[in-house]
Amino acid sequence: MISLWVIGWPLVCAGAAWLLRGRTGWLRLLLLCGAAGHTAGAVALCATMKTPGGFGADWIAPDRLSIIFLMLTSLLFLAVSVHTMFWLPAEKNAQETRERPDGLLADHVFVSCLLAFLATMTLVMLARNFGLLWVAVEATTLVSAPLILFHRSARSLEAMWKYLLICSVGIGLALFGTMLLAVAGQGGHTGLGFSDVAAARGTLNPAWFKAAFIFILAGYGTKMGLAPFHTWLPDAHSEAPGAVSALLSGTLLNCSFLAILRFVDVMPEPLRPFGAHLLTALGLLSLAVAAFFIVRQSDFKRMLAYSSVEHMGLLALFCVYGGANGGLLGVLHLCGHSVIKMTLFLIAGNLLLACGTRQIPLLGGLAKRLPRNSWLWLAAILMICGLPPSPLFVTEFLLLFLLPPWLAATVLVLLFTVFAGMTLAALRMIMGADGSVVPEPEAARSSERLWVVPLILLCGAVAAGIVLLLALV
Amino acid sequence: MNSLSEVLLALFLLTDFWMAGASRLMHCIRLASYQGIIIGLFPLAMWHWHDSTPGVGVFVIAAVTLGVKGVLLPWFLRRAMFRASVRRELEPLVGYPSSLLIVLAAAAGAFYVCEKFGIGSPGAPMLAAPGAFTAMFTGLFIIMARRKAITQAIGFLVFENGITVFGIGMMLEYGMLVELGILLDVFVLIFVMGIAVFHISRELSHIDADRLHLLRDDRKKEELV
Repeated sequence: MISLWVIGWPLVCAGAAWLLRGRTGWLRLLLLCGAAGHTAGAVALCATMKTPGGFGADWIAPDRLSIIFLMLTSLLFLAVSVHTMFWLPAEKNAQETRERPDGLLADHVFVSCLLAFLATMTLVMLARNFGLLWVAVEATTLVSAPLILFHRSARSLEAMWKYLLICSVGIGLALFGTMLLAVAGQGGHTGLGFSDVAAARGTLNPAWFKAAFIFILAGYGTKMGLAPFHTWLPDAHSEAPGAVSALLSGTLLNCSFLAILRFVDVMPEPLRPFGAHLLTALGLLSLAVAAFFIVRQSDFKRMLAYSSVEHMGLLALFCVYGGANGGLLGVLHLCGHSVIKMTLFLIAGNLLLACGTRQIPLLGGLAKRLPRNSWLWLAAILMICGLPPSPLFVTEFLLLFLLPPWLAATVLVLLFTVFAGMTLAALRMIMGADGSVVPEPEAARSSERLWVVPLILLCGAVAAGIVLLLALV
Repeated sequence: MNSLSEVLLALFLLTDFWMAGASRLMHCIRLASYQGIIIGLFPLAMWHWHDSTPGVGVFVIAAVTLGVKGVLLPWFLRRAMFRASVRRELEPLVGYPSSLLIVLAAAAGAFYVCEKFGIGSPGAPMLAAPGAFTAMFTGLFIIMARRKAITQAIGFLVFENGITVFGIGMMLEYGMLVELGILLDVFVLIFVMGIAVFHISRELSHIDADRLHLLRDDRKKEELV
């Protein structure tokens, strides 16, 4: 029942948002209500997980992996909705003072899509059937596409179109892969339930399974942002408002990764090396592409987007080389990345609110005018690159020992490249000589007020990192 | 194996070729709706009627597919087309005769591959796998070779039709919930795309998707806003 609650409650709230159109204050309260109800449900689900069964348990049920993902998503969504409550009015004020204001998406559509997005992501995490999993992943694309159109400009329209088309075609390939999986299990007439497929693992037709894996990896890999299927990601993440980019990067990419993990879980033993080769190749390519584009990047939100591509590549490597505790290590890395990346995107939204541009060369000396945001930005950038108090330091450090030497060396070089590119950009923005764009005092003040949620997220990440470091020593 | 389903699949293949050579959007939309009707009838044609009568689920899915893919989506695409006031694809990236040749070649390739690797399950129609692959290719090809956003939406619909034909043709069963879920997703997707087409046409005063090139990584410094 609780499984149905965590999916149904945000959906009900999403519907209610349409009834409250025009009432801004109520809508914000509704968003908070939906997020808090979801978190309460997730906690209850966590506590009662041992009791099996219930209505529709073949289709929707939590397991150990999905509980971790669900808790993470729920808490991060709560954080974002609190941030949004304060960010939304500030953004509206800032748009009114601009010379060429963008039209903004209506409040009730925005809130409704956010809540529906939460519901569909929950469905992805709780689904126990490959068919239902596909339906849910595609649904996340559909409800998140309007969110990218928050600023109704030609650019965000372009980003949304690319996102819709590339992701839908990609996920279409995943549907084809899911059907091939069904063909692979036809000998025993297996269904598409996780437990059915896992039970029939020995009897699956290997050739069909191979084909299915290729299509699934290409399909969900597109949504997850693995190179060379990542092309939609920088556009969508840079054009969406900060809070939405934070959700896309911190929670949506995880959902697609979970879909791939589910498939890796049921892979027959003899095919493991084949899957490992594919994942390694895509992971390494993602790292390389991200490093290349981060170094020559002039747009700070695109830089963050490429950093997401980098971390998705690392997750693919965790998936292969994680070893005995690999599952745990990969999930830790994913949690760390989600929290820190979300912080970064929220601060990026604040900086954009104050300065009105995303171009790094136009900015400089922000530490004087936006001290809180600037220092948080620098700290978070260092953390995402894996500097010691960060949890990512521990996971990346352990990963390097698990990799074969040639791969470890390559990964290390690429990680250093990313580190150099990102810190250079961040330092230039914060400490460099004053840029040609100077934040307006009014916008700067309201952006400085939005520092609490990022600070809490960052402190959480630091605390987790210190605990992990102590455990390592 | 029965002949009615083979006839339907042959018609389905024909619509692909026709679509590749059609310049008027109205034709493309009408062809897509024919495809939807064929897909709706397909599971009923596949059924072995003399052995047993199908359950309610089969009829429900057939009716919903017919309604959504054969009527609702084409109607919606037509509405989007009128609101965006485009009639035809004026300058496709690949010309119509060569498009037709490419799709024909792809169909030949699909038949060869299916023959060589023995793709198909016992009792499934012969044309199912090659027909599905051809439609998937045609859809992807239309998405890549046409400029208008609305044509790309039609291309996606054809691509998805191909996948559906594969599923029905190989006699895969994945539950009514999933089938209806897939239909719902496709419906909402085309719905959102239709709205996007309208916005693109208003914003850019044309709906050429290849003019969508503002977002890129190597922007020159002078172009910075």
